[in-house]
Amino acid sequence: MAGRRLAEARALLPDLAVRERAVEREQAALRRLACWAGGFTSEVCCLPPSMLLLEVAASLRLFGGAAKLFTGVVAGCIAQGHLPQAALAPTPLAAQWLAIGGGDQCCRTLDELPHRLGSLPLSVLALAAADEARLVSFGARSLADLLRWPRAGLARRLGPGLVADLARALGELPDPRRRFVFPELFADRLELPMRVEHAPALGWAARRLIDALCGWLAARGGGISECIFEFGHESGARQRPATVLVLGLAGATRDPERIGRVLGERLQRLHLPVAVEGIGLRAEAPTALAGHSRSLFAERGEGAGGESMAGLLERLQARLGDDGVHALSAVADHRPENAWRRVAAASLTGGRSPPSPFLAAALRHSAAGPRPLCLLAQPQALREQAGRPQCGGPLRLLAGPERIESGWWDAAEPDALGDVCRDYFVAISRRDEWLWIFRSQAGWFLHGVFA
Amino acid sequence: MSSSTTLAQILERPDVWRGDALARAALPGVPTGFADLDRELPGGGWPRGGLTELLPRRHGVGELSLLLPALARLSRDELAWLVCIAPPYLLYAPALQAGGVDLSRLLVASAPGRDAAWACERSLAADGVGAIVAWLPEVQAAPLRRLQLAAEASQSLLFVFRPAACASQPSPAPLRLVLEGEGEHLVVHLLKRRGSAQPLPLPIAVQRPLYLRHALARPASALAAARSLPRTAVA
Repeated sequence: MAGRRLAEARALLPDLAVRERAVEREQAALRRLACWAGGFTSEVCCLPPSMLLLEVAASLRLFGGAAKLFTGVVAGCIAQGHLPQAALAPTPLAAQWLAIGGGDQCCRTLDELPHRLGSLPLSVLALAAADEARLVSFGARSLADLLRWPRAGLARRLGPGLVADLARALGELPDPRRRFVFPELFADRLELPMRVEHAPALGWAARRLIDALCGWLAARGGGISECIFEFGHESGARQRPATVLVLGLAGATRDPERIGRVLGERLQRLHLPVAVEGIGLRAEAPTALAGHSRSLFAERGEGAGGESMAGLLERLQARLGDDGVHALSAVADHRPENAWRRVAAASLTGGRSPPSPFLAAALRHSAAGPRPLCLLAQPQALREQAGRPQCGGPLRLLAGPERIESGWWDAAEPDALGDVCRDYFVAISRRDEWLWIFRSQAGWFLHGVFA
Repeated sequence: MSSSTTLAQILERPDVWRGDALARAALPGVPTGFADLDRELPGGGWPRGGLTELLPRRHGVGELSLLLPALARLSRDELAWLVCIAPPYLLYAPALQAGGVDLSRLLVASAPGRDAAWACERSLAADGVGAIVAWLPEVQAAPLRRLQLAAEASQSLLFVFRPAACASQPSPAPLRLVLEGEGEHLVVHLLKRRGSAQPLPLPIAVQRPLYLRHALARPASALAAARSLPRTAVA
């Protein structure tokens, strides 16, 4: 319907759906696509309203050759929700013309170029209508005619612009382009084509933003360990504030799969008060993340097909909560409750830090008596009968006592154990349970189980 | 090709085992640290890529001590990760460390209800996880079957603790052990394994907390008299 007036179009197609063109959203989409393209190359050029140029000469080897890179870019564009007309050529202008002329062309060498360009119609040049009419009156049908004709005559009749363009397209003149400047901070917003009421369904739409984010990160050589999703609700009489989801990752990353998986787990648990109309994504604190070399042989825990430990940890944390996953650490303290500590699991997967020799020595020294594998959170009081502790029958004391006492130094601190005076014994019950019990002034207590 | 070679070829397959012999495991098992037990397990140890069901009669008979040598070996020698899922008590770090477990390779996930089986499945899918120890007291047959399939696709050890009452129910686990305390020993009943049935209970000398300076008494060990099984050193 291009070039017709609206009334004319409506007369031809009564059920035509007319939408106003949203130039701002078009430009935002192009910017998002430019960010996404950062995953392929850092040299991106935006040509509004609808063209994107990628300088990929330096990326060919990394992505496994021109053909693979080309199909990768096209498939990625489709995944981003755009239907691209793509072409690959040795000069930017030739690539532009090939793309406008139908796309899906891969031209690798300059020698091939005149032949490829020759088959294109004159319309790809986007000349003024009068100039195009003059060319047609000269007898030109395709670009092949223009390329064959003497340039001096063309320049005299149509001005130097067209001739210079032809020279640029053939690589005879340099053709510098203005680079797309990747923004300092990533903030983008996607309007959904329809309202979404269930949180898990937001995953696929958010994936577009995540891909754009990761392209932006790749171009800037950075990674993120936290990003913020904002789910905007439908505007109406009762405008609700956006639902904010802060996504924390175990370590800096720019792997869209990893971020997508963690988001998926969080979305499973997210309850939306009302339907969502738009998704915003912000990344405010990118950190430098160097690229890594690929090893010739697959290493354990990397690239063997499974998920990495950091990835597992993120998924567990996303579903079970940050407190749901932890690691353990031994502490040099003689009181059993204080001899261990929960530590954040993320500290482990980051890198291994051997325990300090001082601590190790202290732990060896303190390992005087046996310690149970399972400790009760709170000592459990035991009945006493005829001077013997009872736990489903009388307990037999097998070893002990091991006296554990003192601790006045933290008695004043809140939640601290403080001063203790306990005699620990290893006991066995009638049912052959191995227990760790102690006797204090308050009586007998069960404190652990030798599981 | 004669029919006898065909039969021999079929018998060579790792998924076929004869009723009178132990199955050959596709992967060698992880030594349990107890020679008596290794001899009775297909693959000579805890099976990689399979679900091992442990059914202790009571909590505190030494069920975790039975796994400790293998866990220590995996974390220290193979630098593999250990994941403990939904332990019913606090796992006590100093005791694990004294048992040889590298604490910097241990993750503990407190997953309530159905999340526990999910966490097992995710951990099985991860690279670098050597062993998963999970307490699933209320797991149903279908999730257990899923776990067994997930375990087959991985090379990790998967130990699932369930109450001994589950021993009478059918289970997809290829290895099921009922654990019972008897004096100083932990007695292992091999309820199910790939290969011939093992009717005799196996007394295992797990590490008992009797190395304190002032041992008061020894538990009565009527075991030696009652059984004619060969015995290894008693701790």
